[in-house]
Formats: sequence, C-alpha cells, structure tokens
Amino acid sequence: MRAFKYATAPVHLRWDLYPVAHEPGRDHGGSYLEQKEWWTKKREKDHLAEILAMAAEILFLEGVWKNNRRLWWASFPFHWGLYLLVGTTFGLGAVMAGLGSPFVTAALTAGGVIGGALTCLGALALLVMRSADRKLRIYTTPLDRANLLVLILFGGLTVVVAGSVPGMDAVQTGLVSLLKFGDVTVPLVWGLQMAVGALFLFYLPVTRMVHFFAKYFTYHRVRWDDQPIEENPKMASRVQAALDFGVDWSADHVGRGKTWLEVATTVPGSKEGEQ
Amino acid sequence: MMEGPRIRNREEMSRFLTENEGVDVNRLVPLPHPYEDWHDEPIPSLSDSQLERIEPGPDGIAAAQIPVPENDEERERLVASFLEGLRKLLTKENNWTFLQPLILSLDNCVKCQTCADACPIYVGSGEMEVYRPTFRAEVLRKIVDRYIKPGGSIFPKLRGNDIDLDWDVVVRLAELSYRCTLCRRCAQNCPVGVDNALITREIRKLFSQEMGIAMPELHEKGTVKQLAVGSSTGLNPAGLIDIMEFAEEDIQEKAGLNIPIPMDVEGADYLIMHNAGEFLSWPENLQAFAIILEAAGITWTLSSELLGYDSVNYGLFYDDVQYSRVVLKHYEVAKNLGVKRMLVGECGHAHKALMPIADRLIPKELRVRTESCLVLLEDLVVNEKLLLDPSRNDFPVTLHDPCNITRSMGIVQPERNILKKIAPRFREMEPHGVHNYCCGGGSGFAICSSLNFSQWRTRVAGRLKFRQILEAFADEIGPDTKKYLCAPCSNCKGQMRDVINYYDAWDRCGILYGGLVELIVNAMVDVREGFIEWEMH
Repeated sequence: MRAFKYATAPVHLRWDLYPVAHEPGRDHGGSYLEQKEWWTKKREKDHLAEILAMAAEILFLEGVWKNNRRLWWASFPFHWGLYLLVGTTFGLGAVMAGLGSPFVTAALTAGGVIGGALTCLGALALLVMRSADRKLRIYTTPLDRANLLVLILFGGLTVVVAGSVPGMDAVQTGLVSLLKFGDVTVPLVWGLQMAVGALFLFYLPVTRMVHFFAKYFTYHRVRWDDQPIEENPKMASRVQAALDFGVDWSADHVGRGKTWLEVATTVPGSKEGEQ
Repeated sequence: MMEGPRIRNREEMSRFLTENEGVDVNRLVPLPHPYEDWHDEPIPSLSDSQLERIEPGPDGIAAAQIPVPENDEERERLVASFLEGLRKLLTKENNWTFLQPLILSLDNCVKCQTCADACPIYVGSGEMEVYRPTFRAEVLRKIVDRYIKPGGSIFPKLRGNDIDLDWDVVVRLAELSYRCTLCRRCAQNCPVGVDNALITREIRKLFSQEMGIAMPELHEKGTVKQLAVGSSTGLNPAGLIDIMEFAEEDIQEKAGLNIPIPMDVEGADYLIMHNAGEFLSWPENLQAFAIILEAAGITWTLSSELLGYDSVNYGLFYDDVQYSRVVLKHYEVAKNLGVKRMLVGECGHAHKALMPIADRLIPKELRVRTESCLVLLEDLVVNEKLLLDPSRNDFPVTLHDPCNITRSMGIVQPERNILKKIAPRFREMEPHGVHNYCCGGGSGFAICSSLNFSQWRTRVAGRLKFRQILEAFADEIGPDTKKYLCAPCSNCKGQMRDVINYYDAWDRCGILYGGLVELIVNAMVDVREGFIEWEMH
C-alpha cells in the first residue's frame, strides 16, 4: 500500500541533495551545473557508482557508520539479522519448491541461528539504547518498544527452532507436508515462533521499518533525481497535468477556485488578477 | 557546556508546546581564541505590550509575528483552519509540488537522531530540545497521525500520538518553522533520506497558503512587495537607473575605468540577475561584475523591467504560489529581452530558485538557459582571460559555502578553482563544500531583524559558523592581520555583517567579509590597486 502510494504520487519539483552518487563530481559533491554551458555537454551518469553507494548503505549502513557510530553497533547486527532471516525464509521457499539438499539444510540452519541471534541481540541493544539514552527515549513510543520486544522474542525463538535437533530438517519436512495439505504437528516452540513471526508480518506495513523500500524513493526519486526536464518528455507531460489541478488554499493572496497555472500567472489585487 | 536540556521523557515533550523557555546564552557552544572571555548578552524577551499583541515561540522569540487571537472562538477557528490546511498539504491537487518528498519524510523517520548533530542551530544552542531537527517534524507527524489519518484517536498514547491540538500548539509549531534555516544538513546525514528541512518548509507553506501567516519580511515586505513594485527592497525601475549612474561614477573613481552599465540590451549574451540587496548594501559587487565582464569582452545587460532587476525569490522559503509567480516573471523578462542566457549573480537562493527548482515549472515557451556566475568566472580566471596579479590578494582568505549553491546544487569546485588562482593565502573552513555549516541567515533569516529575532540569529543561528571562521583563521587571528571572509551570496553576506558586528570581529580579529568578484577585481592588473576597501561596512 505504502509503496503504491509513493510510486503513484504526482511528479514534484526538483529537490536535489548533494553529493549525488551518479555524478562524475561526486567525490567533492559536484554536479553537471559546474560545467560552463552545461546544457551543451553530454550528461554522464555513473550507474555503477549509484549501485555501489546503495550497496554500501544497505549492506554496511554506511550513513549510520559515518554519522552515528554508537547506534551502528546495535543497528548493524540488527539489520544483518533480519537480512539473514529473510534469506532463510526464501531458502525455505526453495526447499518447498523441491530444491532441498544437505548443503541447503546446513545453510538454512546457519542462517536461522545466526540471523535469529543477531536480530535478538540487535533489537535488545536498540531497546536498551532507546530506554537509556535520553535523546532516543523522548522520541520512542510504547509501540516502538513493543515492536522491539516482538523482534527480540522472534529472534530468540528462531535460534531455538533452527538450532534444535532435528531443527531445519524437521522444518523443511513440515513445510513440504504443509504444501501438500498434509497433517503437520509441530512442537510448541515452533508454533510460538511462527505465531510471533506472523504477528510481526501483520503489523510490519504500518511501522517505520518499511523504510527499507522507502529508501529507494528518498534517494532515487528525490535526492538523486537531478535530470533536467527537457531530457524527460514524460515528466513534462506529468507536470502539465499537475498544472491543471484545482487549487483550494484559503489565504487571500492565493485566490481560490483556479488551476495551478492560473494561480501562478495571476496575482489577486493586481490588474492581471482582476482580469 | 552546561548539563543537558530539560525534557527527560516523551510526556514532557508536550510541555514545550505549551510553555515558554528562553534561550540560555550560557549554554551556547563555546568560541575559541580570542573569545575565551566573551560573554553573550541575553536575548531580550518581548515586552508586556508586545506580548499583548504578538504570540512568541516556545523559546520566547517572535519571528512570524502572529497576532494574539481576540477570544476563544477565534482560537478555535484558527485551529480548525490549521487542520484544514494540513489536509490540503497532503493532497496532490493542492501540493503536487512537494507531496512525494513530504510523505516520504513524514512516514519514514526512524527517530535515530543521526540528524541532530548535523544541525548548526541545535548544536550551536547547546542542544536546546525545541531546535532538534526532529522536534518540529515529530510534532507535525503526531498531529497528522492523530487528527488526519483514519483511526488516529484509537490508543493515541500507545502509538505516541499524544499531543492535544490547541492554539498554543499551532502557534508554537508556526514559530518553530522559523528556527530552521532549511540548510538541509540534517537531510544529508539521514541514513533513510528523511528531510526535516523540507518538513519545516512545508509547515511554513501550510501557514502561508492556508492561514496567511508568514514572516512579514518574506511575505508582505518580500514577495508581495516584489510583485507589486519590482523588488523586495522597494527599488523601482527609476531608482535602479539612478543607482547604476552612481555605480558608473564609483567605478571611475575607485578603479579608474570608464564602464557604462548596459540596460535592457536585446539579444545580449547574458542577462545578469543580481539580488537587488547588492545594489543598496554592497554596490561594489555589481561594480565588480561590470568590470570583469567588460574586461572579458562579454555582451551583457541588466533589465529595468519589473522583477527583472531583482533575482530574489523568497517564495522559495515559504510559499509555492508566491515562488511560482516570481520565477515565472523572471523568465518572462529574460525571454522578452531575447537574451541568450541568464547569469545568476552572487545569491545562493536565487541560484536554486532560478535553476533546479524552476526546472520543472517553467513552460517550454518561456525557457531560457541559466548558468551560475561562478562557472563563468571560473572560465575567465582559470583560463587566464583576465590579467591577474594574485600578490594583490596577499592576505588570509577563507570561503563560506552558501548552502543553496553547494548542498542543493552541487556547484562546489569552480569557486575553489578561482580562489586557488587569485588568493595565495586561501584556506578552507572545516567542514566545507557540500558539508558546510549554514551561515545562520539562510531561508531568508538574514533579512529578518524584527523584535528579538536578530539577536537570536547572531547568537544562536550564526554561532557555529562564527566558530568555523575563527578556526579557519586561527593561525593569524590577531587584528593586525586583515583577513577576508569570502561569501558569494547576498543573504550570507547580510548574516556575516551582523555576526561580525555582534562579535566585534573586525576590531578583535580584523575579519572583513565580501563577495568573490570583489576579490577577483582586487587582483586585476588593469584596475587601480585597492578595490577592496579595508573598513567594516
């Protein structure tokens, strides 16, 4: 829902923020506007540099490392725990699709145990920091704390499930059986782990944890979106459509009941505005 | 620094929206040598008679000068109007211009506070909680979640939406939107890409476009006056002609050159868009431009059309409607004059208003190529199209990077290449370039001096920048060595003037401020020596 909302939002005015990763002058934060008669120059866009910058952000949380080192020690294991758990879940999907093997089982066991442990410890560290550090505490809500508690529990249960004997072997057998609509009997701890996981997935879309995909938009559609409009005719037509939106602001200087274009080209009280 | 601010937990956050707590100057970030003995004067409170008329912010400062409502009915009406404006702010019809960045920033802050240490006002103030970049954004977020989104009143405390909206909250939010210079350093540091400066700008926009509330210097005395008279300075076309005649005489007297200032030349290579504040406060800046362009053999012109001689566009800081009206007029003037391109003078926000922000707004039929003056000047200096003697600039020089030109546009290197060529004793501030600190006069603050705002601006908003300047000149800080603070932006210069005056930095340290073109002309061998006048102005 939220991704759809962002993706379908109208075109906006440019709001670049430098450094922009795909610009050749990115090392000093430069843009193509540093060139004389920039409009005559071929636009160079380094897509690889953009991918590398995003990779550094996603894999190493580079921004947090540079600007908030203390938080990084909690946030980095937490994020990697979640990455491993997501990877393990996909791995289980592969098993259900018939791609199981002893190697896959070993990898899933490691992913589950390490991912669960990192999630649990990372969330615990974040909870401690959010409770002990005044600056973080002020802005932490009861729901934020509850979310971290859920993740501590989920991570811990995942360690137990993935690390117990017969562990991932039994999980895989159970899931395959489930796929075939067979009877599955699971130990209490497994049921609990799945219930907590389902609860987390249920409320995940309304949390701020969905910043993992929002980041695509904040970077690519806002900070790094420096393409001149004349290179993008589709955008020009979207702007044209936006200029026909009706404006409803109430302040006297705006003038209600007009389109954006009419509002921008007339000034209430002036000769033009009275026409 | 004294021990931390007073908010201890989430519940106390709302207290800051209902009670006032003034800036404690003893908590401001300390300054280096020779300011160990410096004692800041307290920021004066509003008088009782002022408080009867004007609502202050939670810090006791009044920027927007919001009138005190006459009675409870009016308060309720204003709160309802605020909520109505907030709804509009979140609709594509009323806010297509910035809706996507706004909702991205409202939805995705993880409240990690990574942004806080990047904010010169928060840090400079000694970490006053109400200046934290997330504070005002979080207040708006809570209001949106509770009063605008469906189901907002369900378990509001559990979800953290625990602000009860009333007039006190509304008025303090309005005031707090004028305690951020929109420098976007916080956004640059945010790992998620959340932009608290944008949220601040959107709050200002809501108040302006729905309730008619804005800083008077930006609105009535700014864009409204500019659209009516031609310039926010009040300068009309006849006055402009007079000023240019004086400028020609000044050039003759100071530089020994006879240079006519071209006006309304159709088909010229460049229409120069100056901030008209230069004409009145720093005429040497436009004179330096004239000398350089004449020496380079470039055909250029000024415009005497309404708005054509003032690149200012304060709408950029608070109101999309006013911004659009002004920028469309600017392009219309250039188009009608048939110039090949517009050249933006030394004004940071004019750069941003006329170039990236205008990019998607200007219709095809009005488009005119627009370039930064820094890029043209780099070409002239680095490629030796001017005869220069750098030894004429044999004094310490440092560069203040205007946020709008660097962080928001990525024009960083040309000004450095120029300075390396003409200023042998150039040194960088730290941090610099796109990571610079705002001067403290950004988002129009430099022109706002009503009530107690200018005292706040120099002591709090400009504190970190002043510390940076002192550190850049630390090796030669004594007043006997005259030093040049180069600030290629009119608003930044206005703030530097006030900061240097307040801290007595001319007498204590010999620090003078000025633009970049003045330094270039000072080094030109065809110009009489001593274009830069070493006296505080």
